Amino acid sequence: MSKILVVDDEEHIRLLYSEELKEAGYEVITAESGYKLLEKIEEEKPDLVVLDIKMVDYNGLDILQDIRNQFYDLPVILSTAYDTFKEDMKSIAADFYVVKSFDLTELKNKIAMALEARLPD
Amino acid sequence: MAFYEENPGQIARADIVVGIPSVNEAGNIAGTVARVDKGLSEYFPDMRCAIINCDNHSSDGTREAFFSVPGKAAKLYISTEPGVGGKGRNIRNFFEKARQLDPKALMIIEADIRNVSPVWVRNLLAPVLKGAGFVCPLYERHKYETFLSNAIVYPLFRSLYGRRVRQCNTGDYGFSPKLLDFYLNPPFRSEMVDNSGIDIWMANIALASRLPIAQAIMGAPKLHRVRGRFADLPALFAEAVSTIFDLVQVYENYWLQVKWSKPTALFGTDLQEVETPLPVEVNPERLHEKFIEDFDKYFMLWEHVYGPITARKLQEIRSIGFQHFSFPTQTWMTILFDSAVAYRAMSLSEKKDLVDGLLPLYVGKVLSYIKKTWRMSLQQAEEYIENECMTFEENKPYIIKMWTKGERG
Repeated sequence: MSKILVVDDEEHIRLLYSEELKEAGYEVITAESGYKLLEKIEEEKPDLVVLDIKMVDYNGLDILQDIRNQFYDLPVILSTAYDTFKEDMKSIAADFYVVKSFDLTELKNKIAMALEARLPD
Repeated sequence: MAFYEENPGQIARADIVVGIPSVNEAGNIAGTVARVDKGLSEYFPDMRCAIINCDNHSSDGTREAFFSVPGKAAKLYISTEPGVGGKGRNIRNFFEKARQLDPKALMIIEADIRNVSPVWVRNLLAPVLKGAGFVCPLYERHKYETFLSNAIVYPLFRSLYGRRVRQCNTGDYGFSPKLLDFYLNPPFRSEMVDNSGIDIWMANIALASRLPIAQAIMGAPKLHRVRGRFADLPALFAEAVSTIFDLVQVYENYWLQVKWSKPTALFGTDLQEVETPLPVEVNPERLHEKFIEDFDKYFMLWEHVYGPITARKLQEIRSIGFQHFSFPTQTWMTILFDSAVAYRAMSLSEKKDLVDGLLPLYVGKVLSYIKKTWRMSLQQAEEYIENECMTFEENKPYIIKMWTKGERG
């Protein structure tokens, strides 16, 4: 079972994503901020991270850089309420992005694609 | 090995080696060398650095201009013998000389760039010193620059090799000594690679090397002589596209295993100021004329290589007329994948005909892209290209099926 780490400072989003993704067959863990996130990734070894871009104390795009530098091929899906972030080149280090919605179909599709992505060893 | 070498400092070792290929660049090379030297001293002050001008025996004083620049980095000059040209040969000489110096990081940058910034040197080399195998720049580009990258290189490389590297054919790269070993013992070289196909060849080998890839944000456009828009286009197109198709065969065991694509690491995200690319003028009417002019000349070849379904699509495209001209991504994807498969079993002359015949279709695709993105911002045009790449990725099973079974869909 693939393990997904959901990072979002809004509790209702963490709950929604957790429930829906668990129903879809994933193991889900959550974090409410970028605080000690790299340590958490090191410890929990998730297969994929769903990362909110705009958190109160953290910029998701900066966290994305840190994740990419330390965990080169760990899939990261940016989750955002607005698509203005695409103007920032840092966003191209993400595997995908999704606009936040109560319908998680797109998020589940992107998670499946990101987990399927494969390069030869 | 290079025919001629000048190493006034008798340099035998260097931590960082920068190569500047040239042919008759006396008017440009000094500025590039000065700024590269500044970047090396500023960002790598404790490392032994060398700059190598790998030249095609220029007759305009390039060598003298290169050595005239004062600076901290050691300077070496190497050259092919008189009458032997080709950027690829210069860079091969650079690889061989660089290996002798046993570097920790290497970089190649073109001689004619008017706005090299010292921070570019940091951005191409620092990721290598941190473990990247290959660093490709991300220049600020206008939506109508580098059509070859937009229409062919990026979608093909991304769907085949699974890495999203946006500007693979820039000619400026950072790379590691491990990748240098791949370049010195390549699975394939050709006359095309000895010329301008070298840029694509370097990037393609890097993508299949399994070494970590990074992209470096440069924060500015690359201002240099632009080749490939008009008179030089057929030769540059043939050298790039043939090299891609040759390497598709070489790396079949790699790309057949790739599914979807992955992003790369990014470097240079700290750059505060980003310059806007200069406007690029295009002539859509001329592109349409060119597409129509060559249509009858190559239609039989297209029908033979791509089959009746695609041939019918092409006739539909021709019949649309300029005002509503559109070249569907699905058709373009099928043509490129079919071309790669057909190329494998062809004689040298047939391969040349195939690539020559692909050029007018490419012109049609470029025209279609211009018309679709005419009112789009740069960011919207980028999203348009991203969507095109997804079409290529989604249809990867098509090329796998044709490649493994020799079937056309």
